[in-house]
Amino acid sequence: MLRRALIGVVALVAAGLFGWLVMSALARLLSTPAAPLPEPATTESPAVAPPVAVEPAAGPHIKATLFFAAGDGQRLVGVQQDVPLAEGTVAQARALITALLAAPAGEATLVSTIPEGTTLRGVYVSDRLEVFVDLDAAVRTNHKGGSMQELLTVYSIVNTVTVNLPTVSAVQILIDGKEADTLAGHVDLRRPLRKNEALILTSDSTQSPS
Amino acid sequence: MLRPATVLACLCLALTAAADGWSQGSPTTLTLLSREGRRAVPVSMINNQEYVAVDDLAGPFGTTAREAAGGLTITARGRTIIVTADQTVVSAAGRLVSLPAPSLKRDNRWLVPVDFLPRALAVALETRLDWRRASRLMIVGDLRVPRVVARIESGASGTSVTFEISPVTPARVSAESGRLLVQFEADALDLLVPPLPQQPFLAGIALADAGTTVAVTPGPRYGAFRSSTSQPDASSSRLTLDLLPGATDLAGAAAAATAAPAPAPPPVDLRASLPPSPATGVRTVVIDPGHGGDELGAQGPRGSLEKEITLAVARRLRTLIEGRLGMRVFLTREDDRTISHDDRSAFANSRQADLFLSIHANAAVRSNIKGAEVYYLSVERADAEARKRAEDAAVILPALGGGTRAIDLILWETAQARYLEQSAALAVAIEESLRSRVEMSPRAVQQAPFRVLVGANMPAALVEIGYVSNPDQEQQLGSADYQTAVAEALLEAIVKFRAQLERTAQ
Repeated sequence: MLRRALIGVVALVAAGLFGWLVMSALARLLSTPAAPLPEPATTESPAVAPPVAVEPAAGPHIKATLFFAAGDGQRLVGVQQDVPLAEGTVAQARALITALLAAPAGEATLVSTIPEGTTLRGVYVSDRLEVFVDLDAAVRTNHKGGSMQELLTVYSIVNTVTVNLPTVSAVQILIDGKEADTLAGHVDLRRPLRKNEALILTSDSTQSPS
Repeated sequence: MLRPATVLACLCLALTAAADGWSQGSPTTLTLLSREGRRAVPVSMINNQEYVAVDDLAGPFGTTAREAAGGLTITARGRTIIVTADQTVVSAAGRLVSLPAPSLKRDNRWLVPVDFLPRALAVALETRLDWRRASRLMIVGDLRVPRVVARIESGASGTSVTFEISPVTPARVSAESGRLLVQFEADALDLLVPPLPQQPFLAGIALADAGTTVAVTPGPRYGAFRSSTSQPDASSSRLTLDLLPGATDLAGAAAAATAAPAPAPPPVDLRASLPPSPATGVRTVVIDPGHGGDELGAQGPRGSLEKEITLAVARRLRTLIEGRLGMRVFLTREDDRTISHDDRSAFANSRQADLFLSIHANAAVRSNIKGAEVYYLSVERADAEARKRAEDAAVILPALGGGTRAIDLILWETAQARYLEQSAALAVAIEESLRSRVEMSPRAVQQAPFRVLVGANMPAALVEIGYVSNPDQEQQLGSADYQTAVAEALLEAIVKFRAQLERTAQ
């Protein structure tokens, strides 16, 4: 009796879980039809990959350098990762930021600098090749504060775009579609920011997760 | 600290000078005044200029000198000063410093003008050396040494002694064993007393008790005293002692005063208002306690709030600056309130502050990260171009009553850009002072596009005094010891920066 009940419960939970995964995947697809799905580089870490995203990213890729907080917590470190190839600056920048918003893959020493729950609302480009990255309010409300953390958050985004798209002159972060004063009270976000090389860990900085 | 050897050296120099006949006056001394005490250094008069021998600096300052190719290389705390004979310019730690008279080499002794000490040696030692010519005091480091100039006026009904004190320094008057003592809240006094006029109320004025008290010895007809204070201007205060006749002369009123020594009046506090110290490049400081109100800033694992820590440190720093340097200090917020970045820099600009210090506590992605950091503004290329424009363009405006006048237009957005070099020097001074007191982060001085610094129209820095995200540092940041250590370091940095500004101004 007990055994049968237990199996029933397990089956029910499994079905529920599967249903939720499908629904949430559908919801994401429907809400942001233009944005490609995040590619969490599952090839390197198959053990933690959820069942709905088992297959490795299809289609052509670029080897991009994404910037995460380095082990010293005071610099950014570039990590090589496959990011889907996209047509044009806007689409490619969107693919880069989407990959950056997903947690750093497989490297226990690297930490994402972007607050949990942050989503990308849109990406624009000006005719002066300044890219505008529009994030939702979670990037501010979930930010833990501190100028060092804020610098790393801002420049992981700025550097990820400018390093991989050399034609981009500068990047401005928007919050909820609007120009922002600062993210957490320190870094001036009112203008596009250029690549910050001083924050990048230099010696053997580019690590590969594989 | 005045050792027999110094006196001997002084005598030797006197003899040499007399024998050679190049001295145009009798050699005297100057007094080095430091936390360690007083020490005399011989001074020679040559061509109406006061000179000290380089050899005599070795003892008090630990300098070494080495002669090479017509010049002398003096090493002080690892930095070098290059002196050339008959030249009025010396190179101190890579910077050219001009002196009022040439350095000289006489009888195998190198002599430098007294101004060599505050202008060149101070640069190498990174210490403030303040030369008070009138009282022949060379003040070493950050000591509170107010100048006290006595003025004596005698009349039939008493004698009044007026002390002109600058900068404003608290003092108290008491009567003790037949003397009147004026105790100053200072490390030493720079006291100047004129010759006493012939009168029966005052017998003498002299320094007493470790040099921070002035003892006034009354004369035979003295019976009682009256003291009053006033503040003629922002940078000085005045303390007047009226020495009055005894009861036999002054019926009734001072009857009690004759029997016993005059009762001590309540302590005289001259700290009525805290004015700027005169003649320096830094008179007003604005301290900006980071965050506040709805903006909590970073939070520690035990719940410490950055906005509370920054306000506490800002308050401690204000007390120190006002008490020791006598500068005007303003806080952008006195309590827990939300203020915009523009309002913070506007506050400093409208008060014409000479220095802007924003105080913050940091947070990191990892809890093990700790240490203090100092930031000054980084400027994007576009801003640098705007800066150039701002420097070039003075705006010509019609003036009242006809004609035109040029107005120096400063774009709000680029106000800080023109102070970047000074701000960098300020950041380095802060880093050095902090390093001797608290743990520093591996990246101690950095540039960043910090919003609050952009509009500051004066040298400005942002100090991250520690990581509140680190459990140990969270505890430190809340403690009085750590907060005081940070405030002391910032005070020292302000003194160093001020000295640097004064040297560049010369």
